[in-house]
Amino acid sequence: MANTATVDELGHAPEVRGKNYLNQTAGVWSWLTTVDHKRIGIMYLVSVLVGFGLGGIFALLVRLELLTAKKTIMDATQYNQAFTLHGAAMVFLFIIPSIPASLGNFFLPLMIGAKDVAFPKLNLLSLYLFWIGAIFMLAAIVTGGVDTGWTFYVPYASGVSTTSVISATFGVFVMGFSSILTGLNFIVTLHKLRAPGMSWYRMPLFLWSLYATSIIQVLATPVLGITLLLLIFERAFHIGIFDPTLGGDPVLFQHFFWFYSHPAVYIMILPGMGVATEILSTHSKRRVFGYKAIAFSSVAIALVSFLVWGHHMFVSGQSELSSAIFSFLTFFVAIPSGVKMFNWLGTLWGGSIRFTVPMLYGIAFLFLFAIGGLTGLFLGTLSVDLHLHDTYFVVAHFHYVMMGSTAIAFFGGLHHWWPKMTGKMYDEKLARVGFALTFIGFNWTFFTQFILGTRGMPRRYYNYLDQFQPLHAFSTYGSWVLGTGFLITFICLARSLKTGAPAPANPWDSTTLEWQTASPPITENFEKAPIVTLDAYERPAEETA
Amino acid sequence: MSAKAEALGGAGESKLSPQFHVAHHFDKADTQFDAGRMGVWLFLVTEILLFGGLFCAFAIFRSKYFPSFVEAHHHLDRVMGGINTIVLITSSFTMALAVRSAQKNETKKTTLLLAITLACAAGFLVVKYFEYSHKIHDGLLPGGNFTAADFASGHPGIFFAIYFMMTGIHGVHVVIGMGLILWILLRNQKNEFSSRYYAPVENVGLYWHLVDLVWIFLFPLLYLVG
Amino acid sequence: MSTSHAEHDHGHGHGSANGDHVPHVLPFKVYIGTFATLLFLTVVTVAASYVDIGHTGNLIVALLIATIKASVVALIFMHLKWDHKFHGIIFVSALIFLAVFIGITMSDTEFRGEAESIEAHNPVDLKDPFKAQRTGDVAIPKEAAAPAAAGSAAPAAGSAAPAVTPAKH
Ligand code: HEM
Ligand SMILES: [Cu+2]
Repeated sequence: MANTATVDELGHAPEVRGKNYLNQTAGVWSWLTTVDHKRIGIMYLVSVLVGFGLGGIFALLVRLELLTAKKTIMDATQYNQAFTLHGAAMVFLFIIPSIPASLGNFFLPLMIGAKDVAFPKLNLLSLYLFWIGAIFMLAAIVTGGVDTGWTFYVPYASGVSTTSVISATFGVFVMGFSSILTGLNFIVTLHKLRAPGMSWYRMPLFLWSLYATSIIQVLATPVLGITLLLLIFERAFHIGIFDPTLGGDPVLFQHFFWFYSHPAVYIMILPGMGVATEILSTHSKRRVFGYKAIAFSSVAIALVSFLVWGHHMFVSGQSELSSAIFSFLTFFVAIPSGVKMFNWLGTLWGGSIRFTVPMLYGIAFLFLFAIGGLTGLFLGTLSVDLHLHDTYFVVAHFHYVMMGSTAIAFFGGLHHWWPKMTGKMYDEKLARVGFALTFIGFNWTFFTQFILGTRGMPRRYYNYLDQFQPLHAFSTYGSWVLGTGFLITFICLARSLKTGAPAPANPWDSTTLEWQTASPPITENFEKAPIVTLDAYERPAEETA
Repeated sequence: MSAKAEALGGAGESKLSPQFHVAHHFDKADTQFDAGRMGVWLFLVTEILLFGGLFCAFAIFRSKYFPSFVEAHHHLDRVMGGINTIVLITSSFTMALAVRSAQKNETKKTTLLLAITLACAAGFLVVKYFEYSHKIHDGLLPGGNFTAADFASGHPGIFFAIYFMMTGIHGVHVVIGMGLILWILLRNQKNEFSSRYYAPVENVGLYWHLVDLVWIFLFPLLYLVG
Repeated sequence: MSTSHAEHDHGHGHGSANGDHVPHVLPFKVYIGTFATLLFLTVVTVAASYVDIGHTGNLIVALLIATIKASVVALIFMHLKWDHKFHGIIFVSALIFLAVFIGITMSDTEFRGEAESIEAHNPVDLKDPFKAQRTGDVAIPKEAAAPAAAGSAAPAAGSAAPAVTPAKH
């Protein structure tokens, strides 16, 4: 059951089983100075989960405040800070690095049969930059917070707000470099370190999605960098580029910001799509249907995503010409996304679907991404967006894609690869409970917000009209279910570290290369350099016969 | 005379860059060097897009405040800008030659060329210093800090905002480049580079040429046509 | 670990018998020639800036010369001419995406407020925005035009847009 000529001994090699990347060396220092992509991936994983926890706490606070139409637990200033910090933490500390930097770092070299990424030290540097950026963001929280919204729109952020905007934006600036370095490293690794026989079309599709993600990271993130630098200088020295009183153009900031941030939403979703592909194929024991279509649609999404940023600016005062062009172009993104959707369904068609925990997440992903993506098209329609812009409809849309799709895929991937990463199996029953509560709680919380939005509830409002109160309260109750779901998932995973049964090398009977080495892998990844003779999802002849 | 002949020169070869070993995750030296160069090119892409944001701002505000841009650019010193252009091109030339001499195992020459490059970079910054102090003295400053009185057109501060951001970030790149050149110069003195292994010289060279490339566009746009 | 066959070695180094890297050394005269070209073009671009051929003309000449200089540096000093084709693609894609960024952004900044004049001719009654459509739209029916004048606010003007009209020249 293998892709390579050397794997038969790999699954069961008792002499070397004792040693793996986790216990090769011990002590905090050995982790902080490691260049092993697997350890760096694990440290990223822990970091983004902390970021997720932080963002989650703010989320629950925001929802709690909105339980009633007037003040519930905090005053208006604190509310502005809570939703800003929620958004900033979730976007920059969690979702952007989530899949690529943690699961990607861990599995990209394993999946191509390499010993490491191309630049291991750069990889570690990227982690440190992430931490440094995070420290600046945390510093912003303790030194006055931020209340600009995660988008840092000017002129509010550059002049009016009295909070620690500079510290927060500088943190994001530094984290941008971390993201760039990860993307750069992945591109070079995929080009240069594929094992003999691992051609581009034999790569698991997760890697194609990471490749596409990396392209965006390298091309778009620098523009975020210069945007934030300009913002910082605007705030500190009044240079006037964005300040209308000095002749600057605040809408220009939105162009700069969304030139990065729209492609960035694909930095968020593409890896999730890749994870979903792996899960759906493995747990239905089917070769991926339309391999090349999925592979190229990832790259197509990455490229087209650079042409549509202005759909965030339909009511900003942008020229009508641009709005029309952007609205038109936005629909093109839907094509490759649709291609993927149909290919996933085609993969499941006729497969022997096993409702394992990862598969549940995978199917949830399909369901939620369909809703998130389609509502994106509503919003991309110029005339519709004039009504829905800055309402809860937008909030619901992006939660369906970011939380419902990316975060769900991330947790699906975590359950899928947990045995490989930790060498432990988790309690399936508990994990299912966690999943069920998450799924129910998510839809409960956010579907409600579609309704709120179409009825005219604006986003980022502290007080609202009484007529919205029942739906807001309903959404808040959902957030408690959602929070409980995640809590249970965490407990389940954490418990498995102590009490979980040892994981076999390939618990899901998967065909991709990372399962053809021990769980957890040894520091060098494979005992013998693998030679690839089969496609990623192809089973050896004797098995299929 | 070719390096190939030297590299294949048998016994002497083992003395070249003795500290260098192919990293364990690469199959051979060429793969490792190619990977490094690809990484640097990708990095240069990020640099281009970083500066690109400022070029975008330049294009937009030039179109919006055309008279002010024309007026403001007459306050930049073409001679100083021109001198700096030549200084930077010279440094690019010596940098390229330094890579060549490293390829040819001419260690002493490499050191000399890197030192000249470094000197040019320092010269560039000195000229910049004079330009900056002049601007600051005249109150030709970004946005809200602009205090020069005798301007006919509106919003000249925008031009100087872009001028200072562009040349400032470029200057930071020059400083970083000097650090990198110094670093390879010191390593070169320890005989680390040879025809067998000169990747760091080459990669720092690529970075340095990009710094030059950016200036090649900055100079005419800011100083010459405004 | 080995490089995949997908990458062809048309770049630097063709590998020696013992796996060492073999550099690709260019003759000295190539460097000198490049240097001379760059110096010459610098002089030309400065000189050209003193010749008044209109602001756009000067801009185009300056950009053209800068592009030639940049290409020379990239191709020769940066060895792109002899390097893997992929590295050239990387470099060029940066320029393409930059052009997309600047181009599309300017499609906004250059054309803001254009709809205002259209709306002035064809005002919308905010109280009954679809009336025009019911009565046949574009060819403003005489009776529809009169009452609409009351609601002639231009709804498309964004609150954040700076009150500047692009200088046309
Ligand atoms: C089919 C694909 C998609 C389309 C057509 C689309 C379209 C849109 C549009 C038009 C808006 C602006 C709404 C407004 O502010 O009025 C929007 C907002 C947003 N979208 Fe999407 N979207 C798509 C997929 C995604 C994905 C995959 C993500 C993230 C993973 C995402 C994240 C967001 C976010 C975060 C916002 C709100 C940003 C803010 O204002 O704070 N979208 N989307
Ligand atoms: Cu978008």
